[in-house]
Amino acid sequence: MMVQNKPQSAQNSRRLTTSSWLRGFVVSCLIAVGGNVAAQSPTRRHVETLASPGLEGRLAGSPGEKLASDYIVGELSKIGAKPLPGKSSFLVPFEFTAGTKDGGSTVTLGGEELKAPAVRALSFSDNGTVDGAVVFAGYGIVVPEGQSFSYDSYTTLDVKDKIVVVLRYFPEEAEAKTKQVLSRYADLRYKAMAARQHGAKAMIVVTGPNSPNAGELAPMTFDTALAGSGIVAVTINGDAANRMFTSGGKKLADAQKALDDANPHATGFALPNVTARIHAEVIREKRTGHNVLAYLPATTATTGVTKPWVAIGAHYDHLGHGEAGNTLAGKEDLNKVHFGADDNASGSAAVLAIAADLAKPARRRNVLMAWWSGEELGLLGSNAFASAAPGSNVAMDQIAAYLNFDMVGRMQDNKLTVQAAGSSPTWKKLLEQANIAAGFDLVVQDDPYQPTDVATFNGASVPSLTFFTGTHPDYHKPSDTADKIDFDDLDRIVGFAAAIVKRVSDADAPPQFTKVEQQMQGGGGRGGVRIFTGTIPDYASDVKGLLLGGVIGGGPAEAAGLQKGDVIVEIAGQTIANIYDYTYALDVLKIGQPAKVVYLRGGKRMETTLTPAARK
Amino acid sequence: MIPRRILTALLIGASAWFATLKAEQPTAAYQERDFLTRVRRLTVEGRRAGEGYWSPDGKRLVFQSEREAGNPFYQIYVLDMASGETKRISTGIGKTTCAFFRPGSDEIEFASTHADPKSKQYQDDELAFRASGKERRYSWDYDPEMDIYAYSETTGAMKRLTTVRGYDAEGSYSPDGQWIAFSSMRDAYNRTLSDAEQKQLQTDPSFFAEIYIMKADGSGQKRLTNVPGYDGGPFFTQDGKKIVWRRFDEKGLIADVWTMNPDGSEQKQITDFGSMSWAPYMHPSGAYYFFASNKLGFENFEVFIVDAAGAKEPVRVTYTDGFDGLPVPSPDGKQLAWTSTRSGGGAGQLFLAQWNHEKAVEALKAAPAKKSSKKS
Repeated sequence: MMVQNKPQSAQNSRRLTTSSWLRGFVVSCLIAVGGNVAAQSPTRRHVETLASPGLEGRLAGSPGEKLASDYIVGELSKIGAKPLPGKSSFLVPFEFTAGTKDGGSTVTLGGEELKAPAVRALSFSDNGTVDGAVVFAGYGIVVPEGQSFSYDSYTTLDVKDKIVVVLRYFPEEAEAKTKQVLSRYADLRYKAMAARQHGAKAMIVVTGPNSPNAGELAPMTFDTALAGSGIVAVTINGDAANRMFTSGGKKLADAQKALDDANPHATGFALPNVTARIHAEVIREKRTGHNVLAYLPATTATTGVTKPWVAIGAHYDHLGHGEAGNTLAGKEDLNKVHFGADDNASGSAAVLAIAADLAKPARRRNVLMAWWSGEELGLLGSNAFASAAPGSNVAMDQIAAYLNFDMVGRMQDNKLTVQAAGSSPTWKKLLEQANIAAGFDLVVQDDPYQPTDVATFNGASVPSLTFFTGTHPDYHKPSDTADKIDFDDLDRIVGFAAAIVKRVSDADAPPQFTKVEQQMQGGGGRGGVRIFTGTIPDYASDVKGLLLGGVIGGGPAEAAGLQKGDVIVEIAGQTIANIYDYTYALDVLKIGQPAKVVYLRGGKRMETTLTPAARK
Repeated sequence: MIPRRILTALLIGASAWFATLKAEQPTAAYQERDFLTRVRRLTVEGRRAGEGYWSPDGKRLVFQSEREAGNPFYQIYVLDMASGETKRISTGIGKTTCAFFRPGSDEIEFASTHADPKSKQYQDDELAFRASGKERRYSWDYDPEMDIYAYSETTGAMKRLTTVRGYDAEGSYSPDGQWIAFSSMRDAYNRTLSDAEQKQLQTDPSFFAEIYIMKADGSGQKRLTNVPGYDGGPFFTQDGKKIVWRRFDEKGLIADVWTMNPDGSEQKQITDFGSMSWAPYMHPSGAYYFFASNKLGFENFEVFIVDAAGAKEPVRVTYTDGFDGLPVPSPDGKQLAWTSTRSGGGAGQLFLAQWNHEKAVEALKAAPAKKSSKKS
């Protein structure tokens, strides 16, 4: 709904000036809390405003995002913050692709034009028309050097200026360990890159008859890239693929069978005398998101101060009505407003409150405040900031440190998780000092490769921290509402973080950056995961095994009797020590085939059977 | 962590034996939050930290931590609870342990091996061992060069209080600041040992540890216990009338909390779990002792409390897997500092929580009479 009505709603929101809209809100807010103004925490109003129904879940580029940014800008004016040097506005736009659809892609084979529903472009395809001979390139997987074994679907094939047909997924009957490696390079984007690097003009994807979702088109996944990935890429259904193979005197089923034990010597082949014309057209709906960027200038001259900026930030966008596909809402809640009170009105409120705390006392460094948009769609806002043209933003190498806040409103048992602490040797000392006054039961994790904007800053070698109070069953659901926020503890986090920012701001030397090695490598990413288990891992946990933050209603894990708090230590005979082990173990599971799960509940070892379903 | 209140050699080789003990189910009448609220982690920096003891005014903690590059052993630090600042007071060289504020003075006692010329070599050896990718289980080696020092916070001077060969450590002051109770293994070095004793010294020197007392200036050193097996971790009660410590059996497998008069008379066993019960410390109310025990599983130490007379069955306080021990109440009795592995990673860190004294008194009152571990 928001997508279709965009122009009109945007006008409406412009008509609602910030002040009139806010006045309306504050009244309802006071009613909601029984008029108890004096007892209000500094973050409560921010969270309740940002997570209110009128903001419709703050989807990046939507009118709700605009209302949210208006509110933040209003608050910034109150504390005397300024737009970044050289800017006249707090709002800094960036463009992204909000959705893709097929614009009438076709495959012409032997004079016959196939079209929807037999053909569809892949979301990352270039637009264009190409002609060429057709070569079957097996699973189209290239395992980079340095892995435990080599596998290259292109090793004996000449695909230059040709059209390659590849199977979706990876060899079905391979050994578990082989699958673990292959699955990491089975993402379709990765396959397209391999095809392009081998000189192919186009890639056609087929779901083989021996695979899950046999014969179906690969889905047009959500993709935020602004342009295609340099190759024409389409998917065709089983019928169309069979016709293509038959016209070359081959059988698709036999071709897949020959490859399915992952024997590296089994190869693809050219389809004799088969040529095709591929026309791909992806319609990308461009949108503009807005980061809100402001700063509190240093109170003394920064000449001679090394790295004269310290930055704090939080994403303020959320899932809207769940239209971007990243919702975990059950069927009955689809299309409802995802309020995102914890994710991440809480972090946005924290940054506002920290800025208010820091506005008065003296500062040796400029304090940059950022409210990112597009985080939920793939860290778009912070990446736009990091890759901005030189001189148009604060340069990353001038930032002494970055503190990120993402989901900080649902503290349990006084536990505060601080991640990315490995990005500087200074952090643990600073955390220890500041926590003596703050008094949290800190869980400190070194890993900076977190699914939030801190990854952007760590990637730019800025010493970073990200604060997190843990996941919960309302994560990415419409039930993530402001009434569930723990404001007392959110306010304590504000005080704690403000103390850390002050220390960094006043220090002579900026924190030193340390690069933490990434634990999981691979070009496949999650695209290779076809299994759905319905588990919600608790990423903040340090326990040995996989601690469940919850299970998805109606999913296989729930059916297996698993619940929040259980620790999975073994699945299908593979021991699980951490989230990475679990991800790899998923590759070994087979859809519909029951797997033994060993887990700990209240310290007691228990067993159950989980039957994985297919991820569509 | 842990010498004063041990572990170490005991964890090696004894686990099979302990595994045969039937893990008793807790009576489950309570949970951790009945006694401890606002649980918080105090130390973050470094590999491990533990043995935190309060200054008499409750504003500072002295503790041991491995947190500086170049020394893989504990050093002693003072943490200011107002500023969060931490300062090292030991020399940075060698191994140290078991610090304690001297009431009514600017002194802090602790044990250290820095005077041993080989100290630096031991550090480098340990670092090289770690660099080889191996990691030994934490162990405390009862270094015979360990001696007790008094550090002056005003001048920074260190006064050596013990000089004889043999491990001298685990010291603590009397409430008036005039006496130090400590543990020493000097008995293994000041006489000719039998062959059996010589062998014992090599496998487990702690067998020779006994409780001693001396004046705060190091004079008048006097032995208080004379029973085979490790006697260690002595503390005065809040009124100074008793010393509470833990006594191991000859095999070093079972320990219990004992009390005695400061002259060594009236030695009395307080706990009787038939497991490793140690690290006793009295609550400032004088009503009960804290201690830690692995009654519920060989490597699962939990904090318990027991009434001062040892008449009742102890009450469990912590309910978290792993190590919870070395409990020390704040001087006002409202907080508890202890050492725990609950933050993960296997190494201990200091934790702090609000202590519910009223609930503790109530729970002890309701506790059944003490059971004996000897009963079948």
